[in-house]
Amino acid sequence: MKIGLIVLPRWMRRVVQVGFLILFLWMVLVSWAPTEGVPSGWLKAFFLADPLLLVLTGVAARALPPLFLWSLVSIVVTMLFGRIFCGWVCPLGTVHSLAGWAFDKVQSRAKRRDAYSPWQKAKYYVLAAGLAMALFGGHWISLFDPLVLLYRTTATAIYPAFQWAVEETAHSVFQADPHVGPVVLGPVQIGPWHLTSLTEPVYQFFRDHVFSLPRQAFLGAGLVWLVFGLMVAANGYRRRFWCRYLCPLGALLGLLGRWPMLRRQVTAEGCNQCGLCLTACHGASASEAGQTWRPSECLMCLNCSAQCVRESCCFRLVSLPWKKQPPLESVGLSRRGLVWSALGGLLALAGLRATPQGRAKHYYHPHLIRPPGARPEPEFLARCTGCALCMKVCPTGGLQPAITEAGLEGIFTPRLVPLIGHCDYNCTACGHVCPTEAIRPLSLEEKHQFKIGLAAFDPSRCIPYVYGRNCIVCEEHCPVPEKAIYCVPQEIMLRTGQFQTVQLPRVDPNRCIGCGVCEHVCPLDDQPGIRVLSTNEIRHPRHQPIPPEIPSHEQLPYR
Amino acid sequence: MAEGLNRREFLAYSAAGAGVFGLASTGLASFLESQVQMAIVRWTGPAPVSLSEEQKVVSKLTEQVLEALGGIRRFVKQGDVVWIKPNIAWDRTREQAANTNPDLVATLVRLCLDAGAKRVKVGDNPCDLAQKTYLTSGIAEAAKKAGAQIVYLDRERFREVNIKGERIKTIPIYPEMMEADVLINVPIAKHHRLATATLCMKNYMGVIENRQLFHQDIPTSLADITRFMKPQFCILDCTRIMLANGPKGGRLEDVEAKWTIAAGTDIVALDAFGAEMLRRKPEEVGSIKKAVEVGLGTMDYRSLKPKEIALS
Repeated sequence: MKIGLIVLPRWMRRVVQVGFLILFLWMVLVSWAPTEGVPSGWLKAFFLADPLLLVLTGVAARALPPLFLWSLVSIVVTMLFGRIFCGWVCPLGTVHSLAGWAFDKVQSRAKRRDAYSPWQKAKYYVLAAGLAMALFGGHWISLFDPLVLLYRTTATAIYPAFQWAVEETAHSVFQADPHVGPVVLGPVQIGPWHLTSLTEPVYQFFRDHVFSLPRQAFLGAGLVWLVFGLMVAANGYRRRFWCRYLCPLGALLGLLGRWPMLRRQVTAEGCNQCGLCLTACHGASASEAGQTWRPSECLMCLNCSAQCVRESCCFRLVSLPWKKQPPLESVGLSRRGLVWSALGGLLALAGLRATPQGRAKHYYHPHLIRPPGARPEPEFLARCTGCALCMKVCPTGGLQPAITEAGLEGIFTPRLVPLIGHCDYNCTACGHVCPTEAIRPLSLEEKHQFKIGLAAFDPSRCIPYVYGRNCIVCEEHCPVPEKAIYCVPQEIMLRTGQFQTVQLPRVDPNRCIGCGVCEHVCPLDDQPGIRVLSTNEIRHPRHQPIPPEIPSHEQLPYR
Repeated sequence: MAEGLNRREFLAYSAAGAGVFGLASTGLASFLESQVQMAIVRWTGPAPVSLSEEQKVVSKLTEQVLEALGGIRRFVKQGDVVWIKPNIAWDRTREQAANTNPDLVATLVRLCLDAGAKRVKVGDNPCDLAQKTYLTSGIAEAAKKAGAQIVYLDRERFREVNIKGERIKTIPIYPEMMEADVLINVPIAKHHRLATATLCMKNYMGVIENRQLFHQDIPTSLADITRFMKPQFCILDCTRIMLANGPKGGRLEDVEAKWTIAAGTDIVALDAFGAEMLRRKPEEVGSIKKAVEVGLGTMDYRSLKPKEIALS
């Protein structure tokens, strides 16, 4: 039965953890829209290996992008080796590991209880509630998937803050241009020495090789920081609080890894129940010192075997997983608890959905402009995880997280904010990186036809209408070859009584695709004279208040 | 041309001698031979059908037009830093004629380097995403192959400059362009809804930021920036011209192949010629009219006796 001792030392786990964290962060950094072609499919690799997204998307949307079958690998690995994903791979888990390590430096371990707490079952009930929601098309729990959480935090909060620091430092040094010298030594003159000769090369390196666009920043970053800060701070209360108590992916993997082939074994003769293993445990998988062990809570961090001074704790492979040897403690879920949490999930879904936004037939938010390729709203919400990958690759920075526009159910889902950036005419990046295909990957031809909204002039703001001066920056930038914005010359009387001709811009609703470049370039940068609203968005067949123009040869009966 | 901005005053003493000598020799040269002020070269042979044929035709036209003007050495001296400023405004291909022809730019790069230029930089402040316009226009690749340094302008590195214009008082200008010894303005002739035509003067809108300011009075603003830029000479690309839906275009029906390149020292005369290529009268273009009014050049380009050459 015994195959043998696993001689995986703890340092190996640490190296693998840091390696995956660096890989994850690197993938955030290289998430750019390439100048040519579409972004690499590898950018979404972490998400595709995530079984929680597989299950939630599969249940909620009743469909799966075929690439998602990669997460079957994670499932098989978990069934064989337990929650090794949580302890070795998950980059958010590594962030919590590092936080726990940092807290160890400032607080005594004895103060922290690291034995199993029944409250750790909370995450399974969260998962049950999430699955119940998914049955009715709710994908909300995926907002709390650890990979999604960390991607959103890195891409929309940490990375822009870092960029801000680099850029602002370089810009202020550049503008002030502090320098010493020059020193004149007879006919020779040396210097002056500029501080910019130090800051500019550094800035240019980041500008050319790291940052995807200047001054990238996202709405709602404060909220993301707050959630992330709370998650990290919770490590001071219990080590890896998030992973133990709340993580829905951890719960799913815990259920899958209930009978792993990799098992902890404590020799009864060696163990004197000193409890050292308990103080070091990441997952709080034992309720007391000694032989008790709950594989559903074990993160395979190997700290217990590394800490054991009597070398009586080790991990072994067993060949027959159903053999109850050595003894395993069960997850301990109650049927009653599961039913209640499922009901709770349904109640929560009803609460999230019973809003005007949730009942899309009657209400469309004017500023909820979804990226091209986005599915109809209910279907979109049944897939979108709010991971922010699309926002990170958007080459204009116009894709921003919705905070209130899509309701609480759609928080952190992407929407176009043309004031910040428009939708580039020749770009389809967002659809090609979306891991759940909430945004479909479009070809360039499809994208050129894909109406995400409709532009409308505001005659109380637009410069030619209000001030009688020519402008038409919008017409100039309109990317549609036949121009969706056209101009009608009109004679207006000036204050002096003289007449002058101005070009008044108009929108052709048949041609406008709602890319928003007009709104973006409008000189009125506070409240533009032209705005793109979700009117006539192609994804909602019933949201077409402006029907196509009737060709002139068709005579209406009452004319 | 960048006297007011040049931060390298310390070089002035050492350069003064050379400068005086240089000025004297140019003065002497212009006195000895009345120099050609404008040249127009047309391709009258069969229209090029392939890219390689086009490349040959366009580079021959470019070489000829500069030859007719007295050679590139008239403007570019040994050791100069040259900035070539084509129109690279839009994410459009060369066939769509929204940007300067890449072969023209590449030939110009080669000629400048042959004339002894220390470095040739190529760059513009595009309207669409810079990475895409540089790539789609074909200019980045062609110019790089010819030995130029491709510069992507940094929006954060423009400096507010007092240009003392009639309409525009101060405007952010890209310092690196002003620091170059020679700035060659190489636009393409296109239709423009508001300005009627976008030609040489309009191409200076790529050295500035905050362009929306210009749109409310394009003629005066363009005259202001042109006066500040003090153009030495410009090359107007009429190999393909866009006759409608400008300046961004996109429809091949609006494009006409003319296989013509003009160059000259009088920017207004060149614009007048370009306007005629676009089937407009020069006086229909506000900026030309305004430029003549304030004495930036002449609208009657024929009075300059342009050297007209037909190649085949």
